[in-house]
Amino acid sequence: MSAALELGINAFKEQIDGPVVAFFSSCVRCGLCSQACLFYTETGDPERTPIHKLEPMRRVWQQEYTFWGRLGKALGLSRPVSDAELAEWEPLVYDSCTLCGRCSMVCPVGNDIAYMLRKMREGMAAAGHAPEGLVGATKRAVTLGSPMGVKLPALQTQIRHVEQDLGFKIPVDVAGADYMLLLSSMEIMNFPEFIRAVARIFKHAGVSWTIASEAFEATNSGVQIGVSDIAAELVERIVAAAARLKVKYVISPECGHAYMAIRWEGPNLIGRPYDFKVLHIMELLDQLREAGRLRTTGREVRSLTYHDPCQVARRGGVVQQPRNLLKMIANDFVEMPETGTMNWCCGAGGGVSSNERADGLRLQVFKRKKQQLEAIRPDALVTACSNCRIYLEEGLDEYGMELPVLSLTETLAEHLVDKG
Amino acid sequence: MTTITNDREFRVALDSLDAKRQRLVATRFVESVLPLCTDGRIARAVRVAADPDADYSALTEALRVAKATTLDCHTRCGAEGDWLEQAGYFVARAAVAALTPRCQMPGGMAWQAAMSSRMAQTSKAIVSGEETAGQESEAQYQILAEFLNA
Repeated sequence: MSAALELGINAFKEQIDGPVVAFFSSCVRCGLCSQACLFYTETGDPERTPIHKLEPMRRVWQQEYTFWGRLGKALGLSRPVSDAELAEWEPLVYDSCTLCGRCSMVCPVGNDIAYMLRKMREGMAAAGHAPEGLVGATKRAVTLGSPMGVKLPALQTQIRHVEQDLGFKIPVDVAGADYMLLLSSMEIMNFPEFIRAVARIFKHAGVSWTIASEAFEATNSGVQIGVSDIAAELVERIVAAAARLKVKYVISPECGHAYMAIRWEGPNLIGRPYDFKVLHIMELLDQLREAGRLRTTGREVRSLTYHDPCQVARRGGVVQQPRNLLKMIANDFVEMPETGTMNWCCGAGGGVSSNERADGLRLQVFKRKKQQLEAIRPDALVTACSNCRIYLEEGLDEYGMELPVLSLTETLAEHLVDKG
Repeated sequence: MTTITNDREFRVALDSLDAKRQRLVATRFVESVLPLCTDGRIARAVRVAADPDADYSALTEALRVAKATTLDCHTRCGAEGDWLEQAGYFVARAAVAALTPRCQMPGGMAWQAAMSSRMAQTSKAIVSGEETAGQESEAQYQILAEFLNA
């Protein structure tokens, strides 16, 4: 056994906890999870059945932790997991899964398959079977603080330019602010108008907020690739900045996995509760709406629909808040079939968008989103995740669909009473 | 003689323009930053947008090309960013805004084109380290004033 394979097998063993044992033991092989996974429904390939993607880890569990499995192993009757097998599984685990969690919603015995796939990635990464793109992103996140190599001077320049346009300061490193806003590198690089929109909304609503220069990055490549030590280190940076600035809340921006990582995985990764609360930007904006602190004017004449980012809605529970906000500005809001917690993924989450090898498959499975949109034919598609946003645009372009994709935060800012 | 000195005046003036004049002034904003985009498809799309007599099919095709270019040159999630290339991406986005039918961009095509053009300059400033905040918006005020006074 090679050293890398041994590391991988040991990582699998470390990941096999009570829930994983219960899930493997109770799987009835019904295959319902396949019908919930767009990588199966849009390809028809049975290899892409969610539970099948876990097969190497299931075999390690069986061979190491069950009576009959151990007996079989001792008698040489079972086939050990090999390096070649892990190499074969790599595209199933990373290219064919966005960790969207739809499979977990339909499992009749309640198995959280997405939870297991997240754990499966720990073993795959330890064995050296993770996609090159994700490896590079993770290295940059550790060494530079951003998976896309966005450094503080770049953000400071963006901020100066936005301030110049807006005519007011964007708070950075303000100790004692209520809210600390995180940003994803995708927003800083591809959608800096998000910064402008948030600044305007927060000024309008009188929000006490800041950006932390030591920890502005929201994303967590460690979670996506499946290396908990790195994921924990990235969470610790945010925790330290929040403690230094003594903020009450940390705000996750329009990024799906960032929210899941900092809100739901974070405390488990670092092994202790936070001294602050985490909110997705949609949650905060909805709280402001409820408190009467958001005043909008005019309504969209276009029919709008909303794409629920999986990690925000299904894994995060933020379903009603964006709809409440849309009600403020939409004359004609129309739901796609199978929305909210059962929405279909854009196909680019969970690190798939960082993985160039998966591009063709990602566009192939976009057919499901296309069908959802064709059923209602909206004039514009709104979402609250910058990763979803750019890959929805790509998918729509691939299938020749003319449909603008909008950020909900930016659209809301366009309707503020004090337009500017 | 129209003068524009801030974004509020700038936006009000842009909002008062009809769709065709929005497209034409938006094109001038894009032309101001066009050297930052090395993809020839955007220069061709901008030429179509700048033509006051361009017909619907030419504009539609130019928009399709500009959109495809935008998608080709954005920085993919998790990839190492290059701010000079990113400047080109924002120029492409500005061209898309200039060519998008007004009904699909209620916020204003020209306003969006102006914003994206400013982001292109910001991207360049990140690489050069030069302090250019506010320069592109001043240039845009001038462009719009000249357009309105012509």
